[in-house]
Amino acid sequence: MRFIILIFWIVVINTSVFAQNKYFTKQGYISFYSHTPVEDIKAENNQVLSIIDISTSEIAVTLLMKSFEFEKALMQEHFNENYVESGKYPKANFSGKILNLEDILNGNNKIAEIMGSLTIKGITKPINIESKVIIEKDTITLKGKFMVAVADYNIKIPAIVRKNIAEKIEVSFILTHQPYNR
Amino acid sequence: MKRIVYIASIFMLLVILTALFVFIKVYNKPHTDVKASASDYTVTVENIASDFSQNEEEANRKYLDKIIQVEGVVKHVDIFNGYSTVTLTDSKDITKTVVCNMAVSENMKTVALQEGQKIIVKGICTGYLMDVMLVKTVIIN
Repeated sequence: MRFIILIFWIVVINTSVFAQNKYFTKQGYISFYSHTPVEDIKAENNQVLSIIDISTSEIAVTLLMKSFEFEKALMQEHFNENYVESGKYPKANFSGKILNLEDILNGNNKIAEIMGSLTIKGITKPINIESKVIIEKDTITLKGKFMVAVADYNIKIPAIVRKNIAEKIEVSFILTHQPYNR
Repeated sequence: MKRIVYIASIFMLLVILTALFVFIKVYNKPHTDVKASASDYTVTVENIASDFSQNEEEANRKYLDKIIQVEGVVKHVDIFNGYSTVTLTDSKDITKTVVCNMAVSENMKTVALQEGQKIIVKGICTGYLMDVMLVKTVIIN
């Protein structure tokens, strides 16, 4: 009997929390960080669009390259004009699948394994990302970081500043999704 | 002879100092001061959102990196991580939206905004996702 009641509550709680299939945010946060002995470079973007469909375990993230804000205007200018050519390639995309979403929604796991592909500067490469998952009330927050090799995306860095920019850039994300009901 | 060396070394020093000065000046070039700059376009949420939804490429060419003054109605205000975002909408068509990432200097004013309030903001356009995006936005009225 107790077991049945337990099952009943699990079902009730799960359906009340996950009655929605789609969770999304328009104000996701993604930053990147390049560390070298010469200088540290950081840029932040607070306008990231991310959608999770829990019925298919799919996740899609899109951002505008020009929305990255740097501490130094000169860095921002070089980033947009020379490195990522954001006039020509305004967006970066990630689309993938959360492999263990069921475990996470059941509360058995708090680390999501996400497999997908990342598109920057028109070049798409496969990538695997691990992310913390925080589920509170009706929000799903993904939080984590991964590394991106500059050379993978045909980003050419002139010899003169090669010592200033890391070969691998650390990308951090905090995406707090809410039920999509608009 | 000594005098020539003396003059030459002063000259060299001046050149090095000037180069250093120029380097620091360029390296620390300030960000565009949105508040002090004149806007390139003055639009309503309806205008700019329609331009982007009809032809994104053309709208990108027109608006990207430009300072845009937008008139709209506050739909909601989000605060996260010390940054605030204001979503503006059209008074008639609420599907048309502009998302403004506010300049940190505007935080106090942003917090005081009420939903449904009519405001005019100015920011730099960075493109279009589901909404038109502005960064470094300041409230004008």
